[in-house]
Amino acid sequence: MQIAEWLETEILNGHFQSGDKVYSQYQLAEMYNINPATAAKGLNLLAEENILYKRRGLGMFVAENARERIMKKRKTQVLARLVKEVVLEARRLNISDAELIEMIKNAQQEGGEG
Amino acid sequence: MSAIVECHNLTKKYRTKTVLNNFTATIEENTITGLIGRNGAGKTTLLKILTGYLKETSGKVAVFSERPFNSLKVSANSIFVDDQMSYPPALQLYELIEAAARFYPNFNLKLAKGLFDYFSFDPKGYHKRLSKGQKSTFNAIIGIAARCPLTIFDEPTTGMDEGVRKDFYRALLKDYLEFPRTIIISSHHLNEIEDLIEDVLLLKNGRAFLHLPITELKEYAIAFKGRKDEVLRRIGDRDVLHKQYIGADTMYAVVKNDFQEEDLEQARRSGLEISSVRSSDLFVYLTKPAKGGIDDVFGGN
Repeated sequence: MQIAEWLETEILNGHFQSGDKVYSQYQLAEMYNINPATAAKGLNLLAEENILYKRRGLGMFVAENARERIMKKRKTQVLARLVKEVVLEARRLNISDAELIEMIKNAQQEGGEG
Repeated sequence: MSAIVECHNLTKKYRTKTVLNNFTATIEENTITGLIGRNGAGKTTLLKILTGYLKETSGKVAVFSERPFNSLKVSANSIFVDDQMSYPPALQLYELIEAAARFYPNFNLKLAKGLFDYFSFDPKGYHKRLSKGQKSTFNAIIGIAARCPLTIFDEPTTGMDEGVRKDFYRALLKDYLEFPRTIIISSHHLNEIEDLIEDVLLLKNGRAFLHLPITELKEYAIAFKGRKDEVLRRIGDRDVLHKQYIGADTMYAVVKNDFQEEDLEQARRSGLEISSVRSSDLFVYLTKPAKGGIDDVFGGN
């Protein structure tokens, strides 16, 4: 869900802090040119994962420890999957572990941009 | 939420041809539904029955709890927009807008004027002299500004260029946010409307083949790519929605996604690439007329 990911990124880079109110489904619909029901599903997804919480009549707010939860989730789901893909591709190409680690180090030195 | 449109075993026959065949579906109030289907799937027939332009052959159809044919209630609360709309030929474009404003109780004249100027229409022009795309744009302005409780657009973007299409969908969404109402929009380009709509209603062989939130359609299917024997082993006896051979031994197959996460994990570990399927591609696979595809017309394997 793109809206959920985008909000997560906004929380990760500090645009929203714990306790801050996030955009409503209608604001998200307007900003992202999407149906408000679809936007609401993105918000609810994050509420289920305790990254946001609902205050009746007031909207959605960033939960305590939201950043940590997002980082943990991204690490165990997204990063772990990407690493597996990298390892698989390296195996297909007969690249040794040492060579692969060297490539990762080089990529890190290049600054991790993009 | 209450149902605005209810169809049960709705059937429409033209002489010997059955266009709608026991069509059953319910559309809730204040949703935007995308009605999709290939050419000739029965989209226009359905929409014209809902607005009372055509009479059903059998089955039940209720709009605002009434049978639409000859219903004043349905006529007064709905608008059907397509590229065949006809207007009094003596009136200039701007007079048409003003006439529509008197006709539709919720009409937003300010919005209509704004869109009219934005799309550079000549107030003194005549509808019959407009190009195909301009006609569609003008009709869409009437359709949005009318703010009818049931607003139906049948292929509204026919002839519009890319920029106008985007502007139209944006204008429709913005006005829906400001003034929620029930909107049905038909298209054979799902990718154009997938962000705008809440639900997808896929019409195939005269029936509601699928009716679900667009977010679920995006997770409906999954694609496997890799060694042919491995792909076949993983998908088992599932219905293959689409398959393609790449090179000698590589296969790409799309199936319904009812896999457990650990099955997918194992498949990944055995070297298969797993990806989601774009809803517009899925739409093409699901609405294929029969088995096979364009390649089969040319023979070979």
